[in-house]
Amino acid sequence: MSNLVCENVVKKYKEKEVLKGINLSIEKGKIYGLIGRNGAGKTTLMSIMTAQNPATRGTITYDGMEVWENREALDHLCFSREINSVTSFGPNNQKVKEYFRIASVFYPHWDREYAKELIQRFGIDEKKRIMNLSKGMMSMVTIIIGLASKADITILDEPVAGLDVVAREDFYRLLLEEQQESGRTFIISTHIIEEAADIFEEVIILHDGQILLKENTIDLLDRCAHVSGLAEEVDKVTDGLHICHTENMGRSKGVTVMLEPGQKLEKTAEVTIQPISLQNLFVAMCGREA
Amino acid sequence: MQELFTQEKSIYLQISEMIETDILRGILLEEERVPSTNDFAKLYAINPATAAKGVNILVDNGILYKKRGIGMFVSTGAKKMILENRKNAFYDNFIKGLVEEAQRLGISKEELTEMILKTN
Repeated sequence: MSNLVCENVVKKYKEKEVLKGINLSIEKGKIYGLIGRNGAGKTTLMSIMTAQNPATRGTITYDGMEVWENREALDHLCFSREINSVTSFGPNNQKVKEYFRIASVFYPHWDREYAKELIQRFGIDEKKRIMNLSKGMMSMVTIIIGLASKADITILDEPVAGLDVVAREDFYRLLLEEQQESGRTFIISTHIIEEAADIFEEVIILHDGQILLKENTIDLLDRCAHVSGLAEEVDKVTDGLHICHTENMGRSKGVTVMLEPGQKLEKTAEVTIQPISLQNLFVAMCGREA
Repeated sequence: MQELFTQEKSIYLQISEMIETDILRGILLEEERVPSTNDFAKLYAINPATAAKGVNILVDNGILYKKRGIGMFVSTGAKKMILENRKNAFYDNFIKGLVEEAQRLGISKEELTEMILKTN
């Protein structure tokens, strides 16, 4: 069953089109990874999906209901955005405790006990003011809000930014645990693709305001490969296949291919065929031409 | 089950190979319950769907079987089956590659045989 659906969502800031007709459907009970380069439109998309920002055109529905100014739909959604030490009114001198209190009022399914447990686990000092938190601590606050909101669809914007590797691992485990227990849906944006690839059941690549792909992570990586060798030999093997990226050096050539259903790569002794990681694929698809 | 993942292969294939290796080494015994997909997901911090895909390969092969409501178990004869499968894969994965590399290096079949015979 489809839960949160974007149809032809366009967003313009003045003349600049940031989202160029997004069609996306988020299904129940999965962890989605949303990846894209800086400025690809990830945060804009996430804020529009949760009605924190109006779309210029297009509709967003939750279980068939429009989300815009619709309390009934919004009660099921949580967008935990990045916190800044400065707001448009000056330094963010709100206390952490107050921040959590507001969240507990805002999210109808807020789990006070769970929030308390997470605050302890991350060692957050609730008496501190937001502006005095480190970057990692701010990320932890957004993680706690996302998890404790208990919203059916929870969207986290770069939750691991600034976290050290131990805290990141901790977050991935907490996320998997919560998802398994509750069956909630999570959408996570991140730039640390390699680490998170194994967490995501599905991956969504946003590039230049458009959805480049949305696919089961395993299936996607299974149909992609890197082929290298003497240029002519590589061409022979990859003839007629969809090529995402090519590197040339002298007589040698390396290409990243994406197979369509029914296609196969013929193994030959002349070329090297290697599996590819999500991060390599992302760079091949969204990186600059070499 | 405590091996580390490599980048060379899909995670789900590595999960299924790790379970097989544990059966061969006697870490998991026949007719014994294997860890659940959620256990794997937690241990390795991977999506349970990925772990399930790895486990299901072994169910399809008959190496594991499902007991409703209880979990996955190692089949009787699993060890023998795994050995058999690995022997078959040995030709494709090692021998073919070995011969190809030997050809690239200009090593004749006789030389190659000699090399194998003198290895202990």
